[in-house]
Amino acid sequence: MAQPLRIANCSGFYGDRLAAAQEMVDGGPIDVLTGDWLAELTMLILAKNQMRDPASGYARTFVTQMEHVMGTCLDRGIKVVSNAGGLSPAGCAAAVQEVADKLGLNPSIAYVEGDDLMPRLDDLRAAGVGFENFDTGEPLGEHQVITANAYIGGWGMAEALAAGADIVITGRSTDAALVVGPAAWRHGWARDDWDRLAGAVVAGHVIECGAQATGGNYSFFQEVPGLEHPGFPIAEVAEDGSSIITKHDSHGGLVSVGTVTAQLLYEIAGPEYLNPDVTARFDTIALAEEAPNRVRVTGVRGQPPPSTLKVSMNYLGGHRATVTLMLTGLDIDEKAALAERALWASTPGGRESFADTHVQLIRSDQDDPATNEVAVAQLRITVKDPDERKVGRAFSSKVTELALANYPGFFGGPGGTQSYGVYWPALVPRDLVWQEVVVGGNRTVVES
Amino acid sequence: MTARRAPLGLVAGARSGDKGGNANLGVWTRTDEAYQWLAAYLTVERLRELLPEARPLEVERYELPNLRALNFVLVGLLGEGVAASTRMDAQAKGLGEYLRAKHVDIPESLL
Repeated sequence: MAQPLRIANCSGFYGDRLAAAQEMVDGGPIDVLTGDWLAELTMLILAKNQMRDPASGYARTFVTQMEHVMGTCLDRGIKVVSNAGGLSPAGCAAAVQEVADKLGLNPSIAYVEGDDLMPRLDDLRAAGVGFENFDTGEPLGEHQVITANAYIGGWGMAEALAAGADIVITGRSTDAALVVGPAAWRHGWARDDWDRLAGAVVAGHVIECGAQATGGNYSFFQEVPGLEHPGFPIAEVAEDGSSIITKHDSHGGLVSVGTVTAQLLYEIAGPEYLNPDVTARFDTIALAEEAPNRVRVTGVRGQPPPSTLKVSMNYLGGHRATVTLMLTGLDIDEKAALAERALWASTPGGRESFADTHVQLIRSDQDDPATNEVAVAQLRITVKDPDERKVGRAFSSKVTELALANYPGFFGGPGGTQSYGVYWPALVPRDLVWQEVVVGGNRTVVES
Repeated sequence: MTARRAPLGLVAGARSGDKGGNANLGVWTRTDEAYQWLAAYLTVERLRELLPEARPLEVERYELPNLRALNFVLVGLLGEGVAASTRMDAQAKGLGEYLRAKHVDIPESLL
């Protein structure tokens, strides 16, 4: 039987530890270096970057990490599989090629496209895809969509690796697919090896969020040694789909049944965990501590995935401003009510003039306070509107004008104004989405 | 069975996060005894009592006995997602630790 494939994670989000790629490559033996750079919010941020600079749209930190480790990865035959391509896998691949040229290296760089539905949105809608909100059932309507990406699985990555790629860059693949793809390639799995694929999905889900599997963000953090600098996780995925979650011995942190359990519960819903390649039954996972910092994952059952893929969409929602007023000492409720009354009274049209408002009084103040800080409550007022001018200076200046003219002890004030996006999850029929794998100028179409 | 009033976090770990406008709240225990108690104790109704923020919301509850865990989905807690949310904790990162800080009646045998 083939050796387990040692897949290391080096990123849980865009902005995660820059040194992690180097640490995972230098820390011990691995076969694949992977990571997740994309969150719902990240797609929106990348879209805003791309509006300013059309050549952007991908996670630049990944390119920097490639500068750190590309030479070593090529020397040791470590494959790199990343979704840092974001909205521009081709652009990211070109940037990585530039790094290779600069370093005098010659890796085979592949990228996978097909997740980006923006260019096809009108056609898909015309073909009857409604993009109704997956959670609420609401119709998409006339919202100004700025990103629309289908979550794709691991078969495009597997195809790229089979074609000899050293570095594979995708767009919106699922986080777990970054483990499914390499494992399916190495072990030669079939598309209907449901249990094996489901095992890889579980391993992928555990390591996709970086140090959250090794003691980061962990309820029992006092039990974790070396949490000043925890190592990133590794999944050793066996041919049968079972895996061992571990970390490099020299790294800080902890891999225990507890840390793995906690991460399994992150951002899930019911026992059926849907992925494009397989539906993994989380109620079949068995965890056991095989040795210190080695947790075995077995028993995972898989089912055929649904006939639809999830689509991550964002549209421009409008503009908003948040004001935080600090209220100290006695009569907090009355002070808050006075501030609110005065603010709405000074706004032309009053509170109703905004598309949406939100007021929250945070009672962090304590009775008979021991220090100044614990005497303070916060009144947070947020206004939203499509019209930037209404929530901009016109609003903030009215807040500032209250400073000497309102409740006793007034301090705090307006924060900045920002545009905001609205996340819109939807579905698309699987057979309307395909992956396009580009290796060395050759383009291959892979079914989703 | 005698019980003591203590933070839930003495017997349960938690991890929470966002999926669009929904928050997910996983709660887990480290022994079978603790899980049996938690599964019986932490109903949707109890969760709503403990978290006033959840009272107006649809709450889904799932049992994962193999992980000694419960998972809750608080539908719509985050409004239209992290970018649009007006919550101080827009991604529900601290929701699990908030629940763990709540005082509940825990059997002495588990403490």
